[in-house]
Amino acid sequence: MATFELYRRSTIGMCLTETLDEMVSNGTLSPEIAIQVLVQFDKSMTEALENQVKSKVSVKGHLHTYRFCDNVWTFILQDAVFKNEECQETVGRVKIVACDSKLLTQ
Amino acid sequence: MEGQVLEGSQPVDLSKHPSGIIPTLQNIVSTVNLDCKLDLKAIALQARNAEYNPKRFAAVIMRIRDPKTTALIFASGKMVCTGAKSEQQSKLAARKYARIIQKLGFPAKFKDFKIQNIVGSCDVKFPIRLEGLAYSHGAFSSYEPELFPGLIYRMKQPKIVLLIFVSGKIVLTGAKVRDETYAAFENIYPVLTEFRKSNNGERCT
Repeated sequence: MATFELYRRSTIGMCLTETLDEMVSNGTLSPEIAIQVLVQFDKSMTEALENQVKSKVSVKGHLHTYRFCDNVWTFILQDAVFKNEECQETVGRVKIVACDSKLLTQ
Repeated sequence: MEGQVLEGSQPVDLSKHPSGIIPTLQNIVSTVNLDCKLDLKAIALQARNAEYNPKRFAAVIMRIRDPKTTALIFASGKMVCTGAKSEQQSKLAARKYARIIQKLGFPAKFKDFKIQNIVGSCDVKFPIRLEGLAYSHGAFSSYEPELFPGLIYRMKQPKIVLLIFVSGKIVLTGAKVRDETYAAFENIYPVLTEFRKSNNGERCT
């Protein structure tokens, strides 16, 4: 099954990419294997978020901008409040990018 | 807001509104031709508050906050503007959308602006016997409470459709100019008073 490459830009994804780059450039890893690792990362992230993460976060803020194009929703929120069971935090400006995972299985 | 008469804020011109009630405009639909071919995907990617899902609908749906309206923008350059509360606001909104399209690099013009529909509503503040009204105005009325709780009254002159509800709330649609809405309401008002439900409910059907 195909997956989005959305999580490669997260902190953990960036770290992984950096490490793989380093390993490829000093010859400890072939570029093919590095790509395979990234593809597995995409799958694992999707699966972990789907099956292992139980906590829920609510986001509420002023919708400054929205966009729907190429099946991707983009939202820019101002003064957004992120809330979960334990804590809440206000963030001045947030960009949310959302894709429909159902489109991949079709 | 401009063009909106707030109840009690100013005296009603009784020569124009003998009923003493002025329908409030709720929605204006207008169209304009920007007179140039548009790349909808480019617009959706660059403009804010735009939706484009060609599988569902062949237009970009764009919104602005002031005047609070929604526009449907087609690849042909034709545009529909909905949601404004007055004719001037609808035109101002359409101009703002045209300006957005221009700023994205399209040679948009502003051709053949036209108000296509005006929707108004009001409350006569007394209940109405819809069945009686439907019976005596059979040629204009359609009342099927099992399908829709309101009476649909298709007035011929002016050509306006009215939705009349038991509660006394009235919706008027189909006007190209607001005077048609006002005229239609003044035409129907005496009919509504004739079929006013009495308070004890004995004429209730």
